[in-house]
Amino acid sequence: MKTILKALFALVMGVATVWSFKVPDIAYFQAPGFARIFLWHFPCPMLFTFLVITSAWFSIRVFFNPAGLKPETDAIARAEWDLRSVACMELSYLFALLTMATGILFSKVQWGDWWSWDPRQTSFLMVLLIYAAYFAVRLGYSDPSKRTAFSAAYSLLALLPALFLEFIFPYLPPIKLMSLHPTGSILQGKIKGEYAYCMILILILFVIMSIYLYKIRVRTGLIELELENNDAKLDAGRDSAPTGVVRPVSLSE
Amino acid sequence: MNSSWRAEILAIFRKEWRTEVRSLSGLLTALLFSVVTVYAISFAALNTKLQGTVIAGMLWVALLFSAASSLTRTFLAEEENGTADLLRLVARPHAVFWGKALFNIVQCVVTSSLLSILYLGFTSAPVPIPWLFGVSLITGCLSLAGAVTLCGAIAAQATNRSMLAAAISVPLLLPLVALGVSGMRVSLGDGSLSSGGFASVIGLIGYAVATLATGPYIYAAVWKT
Amino acid sequence: MPEGDPRHTIGLCALDQSVYSQLTVEEHLELTADLRGCPARIDELLKKIDLAYARDVVAGHLSTGMRARLKIAMAIQADPAALLLDEPGAGLDEDGRNLVARITSEQSERGCVIVATNDPAERRLANLELELAS
Repeated sequence: MKTILKALFALVMGVATVWSFKVPDIAYFQAPGFARIFLWHFPCPMLFTFLVITSAWFSIRVFFNPAGLKPETDAIARAEWDLRSVACMELSYLFALLTMATGILFSKVQWGDWWSWDPRQTSFLMVLLIYAAYFAVRLGYSDPSKRTAFSAAYSLLALLPALFLEFIFPYLPPIKLMSLHPTGSILQGKIKGEYAYCMILILILFVIMSIYLYKIRVRTGLIELELENNDAKLDAGRDSAPTGVVRPVSLSE
Repeated sequence: MNSSWRAEILAIFRKEWRTEVRSLSGLLTALLFSVVTVYAISFAALNTKLQGTVIAGMLWVALLFSAASSLTRTFLAEEENGTADLLRLVARPHAVFWGKALFNIVQCVVTSSLLSILYLGFTSAPVPIPWLFGVSLITGCLSLAGAVTLCGAIAAQATNRSMLAAAISVPLLLPLVALGVSGMRVSLGDGSLSSGGFASVIGLIGYAVATLATGPYIYAAVWKT
Repeated sequence: MPEGDPRHTIGLCALDQSVYSQLTVEEHLELTADLRGCPARIDELLKKIDLAYARDVVAGHLSTGMRARLKIAMAIQADPAALLLDEPGAGLDEDGRNLVARITSEQSERGCVIVATNDPAERRLANLELELAS
């Protein structure tokens, strides 16, 4: 059944790819014939944003487990939430890089330069740098519990400036005036007909692919965690000291 | 704020102040860095008359790196000197965060004021709207201090803590730099108040409020780690 | 574990615990009192740990033994219900070790003391022993 679904997904992705080359141009873009990268660009920042918010939610769960858990259970629960947070963050960064790459292609074709210092481009690069630092935090800690806690803290800290740069900064009036980046294309109905349907299909396919990749990443991570826990238990059994002896000390002068 | 919180925050601030005044290591390093940076960027301009935007941009880059290198020390030094455990035994996380943030705000205002005076002196740049310059600087310092204090707390227990603190604070401060530059350039005669001056100051205040409001809670979550 | 705020109910004095080398003895006790929200009792504590003469000396200029006494003072400042001492006699001379014995005796009347030690002589501080075999 899974094989059939995978084959079906590959087929639909193939159809979407071919369709993206075949859809009629839309006059909305400066160079309509070369704007098709938009169909692949559009889902990427949406998925990136959704995944960083989800990662932040899992980071909150790292800190707020149900009360009354035993320490070992609490540590395992935190590690699992951390794993989910990292899985989302890794996927989100992949989509962020794709956003930047497709955006650079769009910039070259539409505006004549690979990098135009367009406010949208610049602000998204800042977001990329902010989340690159997340991985730096993870690399900076070798102790797993510290790594979990501090990377969760950073994920929460980074969310506010990231959301500001994505949703507020580009829509500030002076920035909007300066920016060449299309705005309101979908909401104002400038993308319609076959173009819109192709775009929605690609978005759905990307969502399915993200869910699949997330599940694989989490499953792999859970297996790694279980192996680490088993190794730790074996090591503890080998090296553990016999339980202490409690005895009253005789009072001496 | 009840008297207990005020006393705790002031106790941390007083501790930071006394430690800094008696050792002078952080402050002197920050001041030296500021002076050298100002000289370097003024020298790089080669006596050219620069526009307000360029002056503001270069000044904010200097402020950014000065803050990232010096303000993170409040937390890093605790871990390096082994005194963090003493604080964990006797203090509450919110008080520790606020005390250190307050100290960083003061330190940032002092070093950025000196940096600005030196830079404007070296470049002979006129300041047509001095109050906007001052307000941009002060609100910028509030935002810088809030964000960098928390970055220091996050990086404090890492193996490569100094580098990590700088690596995580600089990207987070880039939006702040953008806001600061757009406010300061107006004060230096490039642009108008309505075109970006007021909006930038509001943005800086918003950034400061956001980081100082969420910072204590994020710090409290990693407090016992 | 004793109920209440651990800052007041638990006092800890550990071997590897550091103090602020730029702050004086008095300033350390002021700091811990302000942070705990308890009376500083500086004169009383300095007399108890016999450090009154070093009141205004910065911790960076104190000897190991004096620093150990300062840490003990900070640990007992809030009259904790539980006092945890890690190698309390390390770095102390005979007077210092007698001081530790006095403190543990007073503490045991008020609450409990847990001492972690490798020093056989410190066994006399306790009435119950937990030996961890290697």
